[in-house]
Amino acid sequence: MTYRLPKKDLDQTLRGWANQAEVFAPQKREGYAQFLPWEAGNEVLLDEPHNTRFPPKAFFLPQAETLLTYNRKLSQLEMPDLQISPRIIFGIRPCDARAVALLDTVFATAENPDPYWQARREQTILIGMGCNQPATTCFCTSVGSSPFDHAGLDALLTDLGEAYFVETFTERGEALFANLASADVNDAEQAGNVQQQALALLEPAFTTDNLKDHLDQIFDSSLWSEFAQSCLGCGICTFLCPTCFCFDIVDEAQRDERVRNWDTCMLRVYSLEASGHNPRPSRAERTRQRLMHKFSYWLEHADQFGCTGCGRCVRYCPVGLDIRAMIRKAAATPSEVVHAN
Amino acid sequence: MTELETKIRAEAERLLSEHLVDVVIAFRKEDAPLHPQPGFFTRAEELESLAYNGLCANNLANYLTRYPQETRIGMVVRGCENRSVNALLVEKQHTRENLVLIGVPCEGILDWRRIVALTGENVLSVEEKGESVCVHTRENTFALSRVELLHPSCQRCLHPNPISADFLIGDPKPEGDPHLMRLRIAELEALTPAERNAWFKHEAERCIRCYACREACPMCYCTECFVDHTEPRWTDSGVTPAGMQAWHIIRAFHQSGRCTSCGACERACPMDIQMTYLTDKLNLDMIDAYQFEVGMDTTTQPPFATLTLDDKNRFITQGKQS
Amino acid sequence: MSTTPMKIALFQCRWCLYSPEDQAWVDNDLPENIHLVKVPCTGRIDPLFILNAVQGGADGVMISGCLPEKCHFKEGNLAARRQLFEFSQFLDYIGYAQDRVRFVWLDLQDRGRIQQELAAFERTLEALGPAQTLATRTPAPTGGTHD
Repeated sequence: MTYRLPKKDLDQTLRGWANQAEVFAPQKREGYAQFLPWEAGNEVLLDEPHNTRFPPKAFFLPQAETLLTYNRKLSQLEMPDLQISPRIIFGIRPCDARAVALLDTVFATAENPDPYWQARREQTILIGMGCNQPATTCFCTSVGSSPFDHAGLDALLTDLGEAYFVETFTERGEALFANLASADVNDAEQAGNVQQQALALLEPAFTTDNLKDHLDQIFDSSLWSEFAQSCLGCGICTFLCPTCFCFDIVDEAQRDERVRNWDTCMLRVYSLEASGHNPRPSRAERTRQRLMHKFSYWLEHADQFGCTGCGRCVRYCPVGLDIRAMIRKAAATPSEVVHAN
Repeated sequence: MTELETKIRAEAERLLSEHLVDVVIAFRKEDAPLHPQPGFFTRAEELESLAYNGLCANNLANYLTRYPQETRIGMVVRGCENRSVNALLVEKQHTRENLVLIGVPCEGILDWRRIVALTGENVLSVEEKGESVCVHTRENTFALSRVELLHPSCQRCLHPNPISADFLIGDPKPEGDPHLMRLRIAELEALTPAERNAWFKHEAERCIRCYACREACPMCYCTECFVDHTEPRWTDSGVTPAGMQAWHIIRAFHQSGRCTSCGACERACPMDIQMTYLTDKLNLDMIDAYQFEVGMDTTTQPPFATLTLDDKNRFITQGKQS
Repeated sequence: MSTTPMKIALFQCRWCLYSPEDQAWVDNDLPENIHLVKVPCTGRIDPLFILNAVQGGADGVMISGCLPEKCHFKEGNLAARRQLFEFSQFLDYIGYAQDRVRFVWLDLQDRGRIQQELAAFERTLEALGPAQTLATRTPAPTGGTHD
């Protein structure tokens, strides 16, 4: 179903939602856009070309999460009360919503669902805002997404200037807009034009034909050492990435808590084993791991790239490593296919 | 290439073609606008991509500890980088004889975030023309002043001129005013303890423990960082207040007498956290209490590595000295 | 004045109390609000120990060691004097009053001094009140975003 939401009615609409759920929207604090609880009258940042700095995966996989607490003296465990109150994330970009859908293939599987993830996911409605002017660091179209992708969303808004064109995809999304006027043919056409214009701003960052196979073939190339020379081995790309999900589980003995923290494969200690052996001993292996995971291994697991082209890693890498350039370079690196005799 | 870049490249080419070094560490042209990358050149043909401009935001001395002592390294160093190299030499992290320092007096690093704040996200290119900086975005062109774009650490920089480079390329710049750094610390010290604490917590609480500050810092090269120590576990590794505060406090403290105030940590931070107010304070304490300024030579040990009975008359304010 | 006893972390070098009576008092009769950590030398004390105590809620930290030239390990206390004093100044800079970190350098002839110093320290701390600024070792968050 499609609806038309005049911009002047946005505040009122959000107010209505706030009666049934906690509403989060992108707002500016500390000089950058963050998803923060929305209160009536707050200004929502919807027309900046880029997404929030910190990825919304934190709504489902908090950076630090207590899995259980224990009392050593009594030998007792206590599970946290996973009563998550309903939430509406308004203004999430399609790349970030698609990332949530990708992470569902990890945490919300039928065979082995993660209860912590599920509890939050079930209570959260995602209302997306399409990107009329993708930033120069965006490359969603190169990885199978788009500035108006529906994946992971309950509804999607397209900015028409005076109003938003709303498309709903799920019952929960539908329920939030049902009392609005329907969109008419003009709105739909205008939305189509806006979307086409946005697509025109996105040049392909790299081609993905045979990319996975090629990457697999250059696994032993010296290219990875080249990238690793400048790589700092920090965790910026992995922590700001909306699809990275690796975690570490720690017993914080001084607080008697078992905590799950985000972890990053870019740190040496990530793969360091208790024996002292490290299967990824240098930055070359670790840089390779990041690129291979996103553009090869994810395909084996979910038949999709593990990257949605949000561009945060490009924007915030302190040494200017650009994943698009790295993929282009990898694609151009000849593979040395060894034929057995 | 600018004239400066051409001269640097010529030097690098000479060093490589005469086999005087195994690698030249400098900067190379960016893949994404606003972010030139550290470059590692082993062959003269690669020097086409060498770059040097105000957006080169990393401290190249950081890479020194990645190489064994025997590697002969040619490195482009600005003022702070030269002092960082000296600090590393004091800690015996490389051999001076195996270093060729290509000194470039520095006009200060442009903070790319200030550019974006003024011009928007979609920057395509930046041209520096003396005191003005021309920024081309997808939508517009802006003429900005260099001074307003300088990173705060560079605004306070004391030593823009490399002090022990093997040769200098470019004209020397005037030395900085030591009062600028003192002024900023004095402003913080004039606050009440509660206000200072609130400021400290405010900055620490957005930390995401990515450790970019640590990895960008030339003096953080421990194989095992204190945060990775699991038994006993002194600090939380998560984003709890205790963990984040401990991270900032202890990392800064480990820099006492070692940090050259280059600001690479702040430039690396993805959450725009300020942290030089911690290390600058410690550096000033080292100057005031021990007359020690890091990086000014390659032999003087920092105060915490030096023990002397001369200290016996210090610290008599607490617990009576009998 | 506060009615709850001040929590004090006492880092004691195991050599500085020359008198067996003093050491016995510290080992057996230390008031409950004082937590003892014995170290082989004050030079062993890493600023991390002090920070850990402060984050755990210590209202004050006392470090008791030997005078210069009297260190069992010759120079350990010299290292401690520089580092730990600077650390106490640094803590003051971020809002944990320097008066909450007290150094006691004991001589071989001292008798009963540790008790006096602890009592005096408690009075100082009671006047300052409980330390709230850095006592942050609280449970991890259970949900929501990191903002």
